Amino acid sequence: MMRAALALVVLLAFAAAAAAAPSGQPIRIGGTLALTGPLAPTALLHKIAGEIYVEELNKANGLLGRPVEWVLLDDQSKPELARSLYEKLITVDKVDLIIGPYATSGILAAMGVAQRYNKVYVHHSFGMPHLAKYEMHFPTAAFGPEPNKTVPTTVFDAVAATSKPPKSVAIVTSKFPSAQFQSNGAKEVAEKRGLKVPLYLEYEFGTRDWGAIAARVKDANADLLWIGALGLDGNQLLEAMKKLDYTPPRHFHLFPAPGPLVAAPDGKNALSVTVFEEHPPFMNNPGAAKFVPIFKERAAKANVPYTAIETQVGGSFAAWQVLEAGVTATKSLDDKAIGAWLRKNRVDTIIGKLRFDGPNNYGDDLFKVKQVQDGKWVVVWPREFTAPGARLQPQ
Amino acid sequence: MTERVRVVVTLIAVALALACLPLVGLPAFYESFLYLVFHWIALATSWSILSGYAGYFSFGHGAFFGAGVYTTTTLAAAYDVPFLVTLPVAALVAALLSAGIGAVVFRVKRLRGELFGLLTLAITFVLATIVLNTRLDGGPGVYLSNVPLPRLVGSPTGTFYLLALALATGTLITAYLVTRARLGLGLYAIHDDEDVAEVEGVPTFAYKLIAFAISAGVAGIAGGIYAMYVSYVTVGDTFSVTVPLYVVLMSVLGGARHWLGPAVGAALITASLYTFTSGQQAILGRAIVAFVLVLVILLLPAGVVATVLGWRRRRADVSAASATGGAEARGGSSGDWRTRGREAASQSEFGAADPPRASAPPVALQCEDVWRAFGGIQALRGVSLRVEPGEIVGLVGPNGSGKTTLINVISGHYTLDRGRITLGGDDLAARPAHEIAGLGISRTYQIPRPFAQLTALDNVAVAATFGAARCALGEARDEAWHWLEFTGLARRASALPHELNLHERKFLELARALAGRPRVILLDEVLSGLTPAEIASAITLVREIRARGVAILFVEHLMRAVLELSDRVVVLNEGEVIAEGAPREAMRAPRVIDVYLGKTQAHVVA
Amino acid sequence: MPSATLLGQAVVSGLLAGGLYGLLALGLSLSWGLLRLVNLAHFALALLGAYLTYQLGTALHLSPWVAAIVLVPAFFGLGIALHLLFARFRVTEFTSLLVTFGIAVILESVIQWFWTADYRRYETPYASASFKLGPVFVPLLELFACLTAATLALATWAWLRFTYVGKALRAAAEDPAIAGAFGVDHRRHALLLSGLSAAYAGAAGTFIALIATLAPSQIWAWLGVVFAVVIIGGLGNPVGALLAGFLIGMSESITMAVVAPAWAPLVSFSILIGLLIFRPERV
Repeated sequence: MMRAALALVVLLAFAAAAAAAPSGQPIRIGGTLALTGPLAPTALLHKIAGEIYVEELNKANGLLGRPVEWVLLDDQSKPELARSLYEKLITVDKVDLIIGPYATSGILAAMGVAQRYNKVYVHHSFGMPHLAKYEMHFPTAAFGPEPNKTVPTTVFDAVAATSKPPKSVAIVTSKFPSAQFQSNGAKEVAEKRGLKVPLYLEYEFGTRDWGAIAARVKDANADLLWIGALGLDGNQLLEAMKKLDYTPPRHFHLFPAPGPLVAAPDGKNALSVTVFEEHPPFMNNPGAAKFVPIFKERAAKANVPYTAIETQVGGSFAAWQVLEAGVTATKSLDDKAIGAWLRKNRVDTIIGKLRFDGPNNYGDDLFKVKQVQDGKWVVVWPREFTAPGARLQPQ
Repeated sequence: MTERVRVVVTLIAVALALACLPLVGLPAFYESFLYLVFHWIALATSWSILSGYAGYFSFGHGAFFGAGVYTTTTLAAAYDVPFLVTLPVAALVAALLSAGIGAVVFRVKRLRGELFGLLTLAITFVLATIVLNTRLDGGPGVYLSNVPLPRLVGSPTGTFYLLALALATGTLITAYLVTRARLGLGLYAIHDDEDVAEVEGVPTFAYKLIAFAISAGVAGIAGGIYAMYVSYVTVGDTFSVTVPLYVVLMSVLGGARHWLGPAVGAALITASLYTFTSGQQAILGRAIVAFVLVLVILLLPAGVVATVLGWRRRRADVSAASATGGAEARGGSSGDWRTRGREAASQSEFGAADPPRASAPPVALQCEDVWRAFGGIQALRGVSLRVEPGEIVGLVGPNGSGKTTLINVISGHYTLDRGRITLGGDDLAARPAHEIAGLGISRTYQIPRPFAQLTALDNVAVAATFGAARCALGEARDEAWHWLEFTGLARRASALPHELNLHERKFLELARALAGRPRVILLDEVLSGLTPAEIASAITLVREIRARGVAILFVEHLMRAVLELSDRVVVLNEGEVIAEGAPREAMRAPRVIDVYLGKTQAHVVA
Repeated sequence: MPSATLLGQAVVSGLLAGGLYGLLALGLSLSWGLLRLVNLAHFALALLGAYLTYQLGTALHLSPWVAAIVLVPAFFGLGIALHLLFARFRVTEFTSLLVTFGIAVILESVIQWFWTADYRRYETPYASASFKLGPVFVPLLELFACLTAATLALATWAWLRFTYVGKALRAAAEDPAIAGAFGVDHRRHALLLSGLSAAYAGAAGTFIALIATLAPSQIWAWLGVVFAVVIIGGLGNPVGALLAGFLIGMSESITMAVVAPAWAPLVSFSILIGLLIFRPERV
């Protein structure tokens, strides 16, 4: 008797769970990330973001009422491996949908595969919009079609609006393709705006000795220093300049590792660009209130030093949101239908409203200018996105 | 059907069968996976042609791969050259680059081993910096999306698969044929002892250059195909340490000396890359692959293929031994030669004691006023001597008197500062050592210097192939067999040099010197360290050689043998000839006694 | 044309950066020159040392100098353990390259497991300290790294030159058989040298933690330039490694100041190539 009652309770519990949780065959979404190798530092953040998103989806009603499974593979930071792993996901694992890998080379290598199999290809970290020609690729790195023009324009607009607008800009950039692409654009934009460019330097990706570069920046003594930096390049250049007793009046960092720059004493007033920071109005974007605390917790648990959501993670969540929106709106897993819908509609994401109807499926440049203030990043430009009470510090 | 035809036909048949794979309709992934396998097979196999066979470890394979990548990229993207046309150009550019490097580097004797490796690595970095800072790339990378890909089969992936399959097959056939040709034998000899190889007649400079160019050319084509495969080419990905490091790992894992070894290693490592791509265990997977690699290299340092062949051979030997009652069949490293040796063995029982080749007409060796200095030390001061055909000239003198230096100068190992050395009408002074060997001078070394990883038979075959005899490969083995029998070493034909005792090694030196069918033999203390019985048999042997009309210059400390054997004696002291003439008279000249007094008087008296 | 101050500054910072190259090259050069082991794991050990310095500094608030006192002996032990492995399997010069590559990858995975792949930066007050010497600035930390490298290099040189163990090691590197015949216990000496080489990696790691970027894949960032330094300095020659570090550091720095940063590798590797071709006996 007791046993029968217990069985009944268990059965009922299962039934209740089944009603809330998604059911049926899981929808499988395949993708790779550079979990090992030189690109791993940032890819790790994309992994955490994706895992959170899929879990949250499954806690709710899944996709179309079915649970979602993320088939994640490691492309080891190698584009040739990314390419063939997408072929594996599509032709062997036969996943229902795909989502892009991390970083430009991998995304471009796999784009051809997506194109051959007519798969909707949402990706979150592509830096060279003019190269992406596939009609069903949907970027959430919301640079707009010409970031080499629009991003520098935003940055120069922001500093020009301060009480002491810069008259000259020194540009130092990594030869990493996407950084060099935008920094090169910055030079053109600056010259067009009548800013002097007393120094334009390109250094090899992986430079270790910053002393000589710092000395040249000091020599140029421009009002604004544009660093087309990746990872910790910016920190190291600032330190090297400090050793020469030089602090640039203003310094802008293109793709910095956000945590170390906030923590560095020299990082004070550093400028950068972002699509998301953890303050209003961004916190009002869809998903922001939900994902910010979960990401903080998960990232801390994974031993990640900087747990705030910003450009990379924002783009990652947005990519999942775009894919979900396409599936939900068309009520199907049909790539053609999803692609057609995405090209026609805007998707409201954690980083803002994305549209894919411009050149090469790019919409607006959503990048804002942010600055390190009081030990954290806050958006300072344009005015309607600034953090409460914050304004761009002139020097 | 010879073994050579059989292997090539088998390779082509397997390739043709594999070429049908796209028709089966397998998922495209398998094509792209196999593309990468073949890509690495071509790269690793091509690397081993220079670095595995000749032992010139290159860490610069990435440079030639990269040269191919950017040749195809530049031609196809900037000049609209059709993709398939760019591939031979990529091969040519890479091969010319390597030939240019080799033409400089291979002249520097010290640049062997790890120094050569680091030099080629540095060249890779220099090339990468140039590409990164010039119009070839400049930094942003090059996208090849607008380059049309020819459709060999239905899908583009299938096309890459077929291209890489063709390249891998071609490379494997090339590698196999190289190991079965003079080139391969020469490269193996270079691997073991390059100076000796040159003196035995191997044109080492040309062979290294050819091997380097083949190796780089294949890497160039692989790079060209790869450029289209990834379609977005950047300096960072192209010139990373991945290519140079992986080709080494694959070759060593499989076994770099065997033509099939690198291919096996490439297949294993590429497959292991795919085994651990699951996103959940990425870090662990990488560590496991590395751990397995460490284990394999520690436990099978000779590589998978050589180890497996070793097992098979041992098993075959055990069964053969039980069947025939203990035939000696110890394995050499290049197993292919071993079996041929056995065939030759059975053949020689039919009385093939006659040499397979006639020697060139006999001539005299003449040295006139030969000078040679090392730093401040004048080792030879105007030495003149002449050795007639069929004559045995003993060259004696105390330690450091210049005897071995003279041999080194005659054989071309050292150049001479002044003077003339002629063989018949040919002036030897300006010639590289291998040409001197080709003209008919061969030598032995005081401390035997056999090629350590070649069997006794192969050691002799090198001389037969590259010396004055100029045997074709098939004949060379018969010739080698003949000389092994002549020196009483036939029983030890398949032994490796380290398995021979000193007496056998000395006789191996002799067999090697004779197999070139020389007109002049320079013997450097062949008798030292031998027992009286062995000395007696060696003396008999030298007389037999002389009977064939060969001129013999004979350096020896053992006076009794000198007096017994020599027709004439030349006495050297401090680089000068101090006496010359009939043995007993020359040794009794007052200056000679002065020089020897208190040192080897006992011998003189004897 | 760059100003004299810029040039002077480039020379000073290049010289000091070169000190760190020399420090990293030191251990590698010793084990290669005297034990015939090409130890790729040296770079991984240095980075492991850097991460441990970072960990002790951030989690336990140990000053990096205290951390070094703990780490250097620990790395000495690690070096001995590695050498026992190599000796057990009779690793040759060539297979050592592959085995240590595998070990480096394993260490890279270990680092990534504990500290993730994300960038780490160890902030210390020393990081941007410097003093002025005439018109040029001398960064303190780099100077200290450089002095450490110089001290270790000279001490090692004297040790190899004047002590019995040092002489025995050099003799064994020249001809193991003869040294063995003279009763040299090469095994024990080799263990000592491996321990020392790893301890140097640990010391270099402390400075890397303070000066450079921390990310697991940074293990490979130092490979090319440090190998160039080792070869230019001469295998097994500690003072040579130091001087070669200076040479490479300065040539890169001057190229960066006068021409363009991206051309810097061309100059340093061309020096290496030139040296190998025209002065091979020097190596």
